[in-house]
Amino acid sequence: MAGIKVKAKLKGGVVKVKAMAKHAMMTYNMAEKKTGSRDNANFITHITATVNGETVLDMSTSQFLSKNPIFKFQFKGIGKKGDKVQMIATDLKGNTLKGKGKIK
Amino acid sequence: MERRKFLSMTLGALALAVVPASVRAEDFRKSKPAVWSAKSVDDAIKAMYGSNDIKFEGIKLTAPDVASNGGAIPVDFSTDLDVKTIAVFQDANPEAAVLVIEPTKYSVNKYSIKIKMAKSGTITIVAQGNDGKLYGAKKTLDVALGGCEG
Repeated sequence: MAGIKVKAKLKGGVVKVKAMAKHAMMTYNMAEKKTGSRDNANFITHITATVNGETVLDMSTSQFLSKNPIFKFQFKGIGKKGDKVQMIATDLKGNTLKGKGKIK
Repeated sequence: MERRKFLSMTLGALALAVVPASVRAEDFRKSKPAVWSAKSVDDAIKAMYGSNDIKFEGIKLTAPDVASNGGAIPVDFSTDLDVKTIAVFQDANPEAAVLVIEPTKYSVNKYSIKIKMAKSGTITIVAQGNDGKLYGAKKTLDVALGGCEG
């Protein structure tokens, strides 16, 4: 099962996170063209990131993120060096992708 | 094939069930399904916020003027406003909505994402402030090679 790569860096009190989810992000149109059925479309629909059990990112997404989407976000007030940023993504078919990265 | 499909779906459902409820704040795909099926940006914004009265200020949006690859267009956006939600729309694809972010109390509202666009079009970002007002930013760009493959 594919996962999410997470890189996090603490600088000036703000943690910057860079994450890449490995996912084909098949749109309905692509699915129809390639497999003949729109039902084969599959893409990430929800992404969350947590640090020490607190949510730092909550994002609902559609089929129009790029393939293997990269996203960057930032947070402050929580997380110190060595803490882990955990990310979970859910796709349309109900699969979950997980990943974590230490804050450096 | 059918059986395999069934099995993977069951597993998927199980995996979903173990995600603690506290981690998932609001799933906008479930709470506002109309947003995701809306064909035009205006309809999507209306479905999301119930209004089209947007002030185009307070939000910074950066995207290339010409995107050579429509499959991965870098879009950066940020705001210093105190916002409840931030939503990204575009008018080049069959449906308008790209994503909705619900900032938490820890969020620094500065994001970079990559999106797909099938043809040239306009990216619209709309955020709802804690004051209830809508703030937005727009950027029109040319896409040389469409990213949605039709």
